[in-house]
Amino acid sequence: MSDNTVVVAKKKKKIKIFPIVNAVLFILISLAIMLPIWKVIVDSFDARSAYSFKWLPSQFTWSGYNAIISRSALYKPFYISCITTVIGTFVGLLLVTLGGYVLIQWEMPGRNFFAYMLLFTMIFDGGMIPKYLVMKNLNLINTIWAVILPMAINVYNLVLMRNFFEGIPESLFEAAQIDGCSPMGIFFKIVLPLSKAALASIGLMFAVQFWNDYTNFKIYINKNDLWNFQIRLRAMVMESDVPNDDAVDPNTISSAAVIVAILPFAIIYPFCQKYFVQGVNVGAVKE
Amino acid sequence: MQCKSCNTELPKGAKVCPKCGELIDDKHSGNLKVIAVIGLVIALVGGLLPFVQNTDEITDAYSFMSIDMPVLWYIQIVVIVAAILLLVARRDMLSIIPTAISAIIFIVAFVAMDFRLYSSRNAFKTFKLTDLLSKPEYTIGAGTYVFILGIIIAIVGCFIDIMKYFKKDLGVDKRFLTNSINQSIWKKMYYYRGFYLMFLPVLIMVLLFNYWPMLGCRYAFTKYVIKGPYYAGLYHFNQMFTNDIYFWQAFKNTLILSIIKLILNTGAAVIISLLLNEIVSLGFKKTVQTIVYLPHFMSWVVVASVFKMILDPNPTGVVNSILLNWHIIDEPIFFLGSEQYWRGTFYVMNVWKDTGWGTILFLATLSGISPDLYEAAQIDGANRWKRLIYITLPALANTIITVFILNLAKVMNLFESVFVTMNNAVLNVAQVLQTYIYNKTFSSGNSDYGYSTAVGLFKSFVGMILVLGCNYASKKVRGRGIV
Repeated sequence: MSDNTVVVAKKKKKIKIFPIVNAVLFILISLAIMLPIWKVIVDSFDARSAYSFKWLPSQFTWSGYNAIISRSALYKPFYISCITTVIGTFVGLLLVTLGGYVLIQWEMPGRNFFAYMLLFTMIFDGGMIPKYLVMKNLNLINTIWAVILPMAINVYNLVLMRNFFEGIPESLFEAAQIDGCSPMGIFFKIVLPLSKAALASIGLMFAVQFWNDYTNFKIYINKNDLWNFQIRLRAMVMESDVPNDDAVDPNTISSAAVIVAILPFAIIYPFCQKYFVQGVNVGAVKE
Repeated sequence: MQCKSCNTELPKGAKVCPKCGELIDDKHSGNLKVIAVIGLVIALVGGLLPFVQNTDEITDAYSFMSIDMPVLWYIQIVVIVAAILLLVARRDMLSIIPTAISAIIFIVAFVAMDFRLYSSRNAFKTFKLTDLLSKPEYTIGAGTYVFILGIIIAIVGCFIDIMKYFKKDLGVDKRFLTNSINQSIWKKMYYYRGFYLMFLPVLIMVLLFNYWPMLGCRYAFTKYVIKGPYYAGLYHFNQMFTNDIYFWQAFKNTLILSIIKLILNTGAAVIISLLLNEIVSLGFKKTVQTIVYLPHFMSWVVVASVFKMILDPNPTGVVNSILLNWHIIDEPIFFLGSEQYWRGTFYVMNVWKDTGWGTILFLATLSGISPDLYEAAQIDGANRWKRLIYITLPALANTIITVFILNLAKVMNLFESVFVTMNNAVLNVAQVLQTYIYNKTFSSGNSDYGYSTAVGLFKSFVGMILVLGCNYASKKVRGRGIV
């Protein structure tokens, strides 16, 4: 009898160890992800450069953020980032919804041709230099359109949108058609209202891409006053090119700039997590 | 069985999809004339290679691009592309016509037109083919042979399939044909007129920003400095493959960095998602998920900046100051600035940024495994480990392979992550093809666009092979391609 109880107790104990280890492990992983960010947050509020890890700033200050708001070399890139993100997301969504809706018209003559045409761009790519030369020929170098347009036509997102549209039940289209709705009417009255989640999902993907864009700006823009925030940030952190007077520690400004670059999506994302996740899942299930 | 183009479930034995009118591929009827398409692509490439070549001087070469009437070359491209499209659209009979036209254009260009040699800006001398070949140092170049071979393959391919076309009995059951298939194409096009208008912006953008650059690949065969592009044959490729150690190094680095990165990221994501799946408390799980997904939304610039700040070799860098305080090291380590540590740091940054995001697909698969399986196994006495080996991993295997294949196709695209973290001190271990192209073009004063385009073309070519290979593998593994 007593032997038996010992065995049961042992078994129970053995099972309980794993969840605890697991939980501890995930706390460690979360710390590994959050601590570097926390360190930058603390630095951005600290008037003196931090020499080691601190949980809280030793001398609290807003001056880093003040600098970003008040110095034109810093708020202008922020403004450019906002503009390209808003326009880019809008143009991108417009193109993917139009393209995606056309691609679900199975009986439309030429539909397969258009589909192959789009898919081929995923297989072969002209390359960086020919693209640059095309931009040059179009006189788009050093305009924001050079960074917006090539990213707005995103075939991957277009196919994703098509997959979302495919999920709309066929019978709805048929019913609308019988009731005398035109194809455009179906698009605006049925497809778009039913695809709010898809629009959110893909719109967010576009927004992240445009906000985080560095490569296109680096290649197509070589005027300082058209830099976006990412380019400015890299110049500050990697090349120590901080627009500064001596009053504020450059490290404080750089840290504040990192936080500002993270902030928009760090705020939005916890509320929209399901849309982001949905985008990934739909993308992998059907491509 | 499902229709390839619209994914509807097909009635058994149908030869035509009832919904979209797509012919259904059996193994017996090769609908896409692969042989002919390959032949046409070979011909297209042949038009870029030198037709006449000076054996001593590799830049002294003549091709379609240097004949006296450049417009012929564009017509040639249009004709060959038209032939390919007709083949893809299964109009195999018609595609013979553009193929024949392209052969005729080739003969005309080769025999009747003059080649020209740029001597200076907007001034050039012209040569006749016979004049060139009468000189002993000129021989017929690879382009001629490749082009003729391509056209022959294309025509043979067409004919093989035309024979099939006559033999093939479609055997369409009338029940599976909807009325719309029998409608005239013009009526249908009129019905869909609004949709063509809707597609127009997409079409224009794709043509401008995807297809026009593809045409720009021809610069790979030219010298393109200030004088403007002039034909130089295979000069750049010869330079690239035989003389340029930096190119090979960049190629090697691209493969090493992206493949190790891929393996580490996928492995870490699988382990994390397995462990995450074991968490019982829903709130805790959600919180952890939110935190581990977060770095995905940071740009590479931000990640590089954060890591630069904490890894700084000055005492400001947290990591170095901690390691120094604990006496693990005696001197600060320059993580991002020494060849020894750069790659390791790069992998850590990648894992930090993308592991969490990579778990999404695995978690979705894991949540789809029926709990009955685990219960049954538990009753049979399988412990946690055994359940992992015999239930979870087999269920996950397909997803792992899918993720691996999807990412393997993107191996050559490595650019931004390397570009923002590298510096001149670590070029040997960090330079990848894309950064090599960028630096070669934009960082030096008089750059040859032709050379960087050639490197880019090589990159795109390897990338294309990878995508097609992965597509094939994906079809084998999960019955669905990636493109």
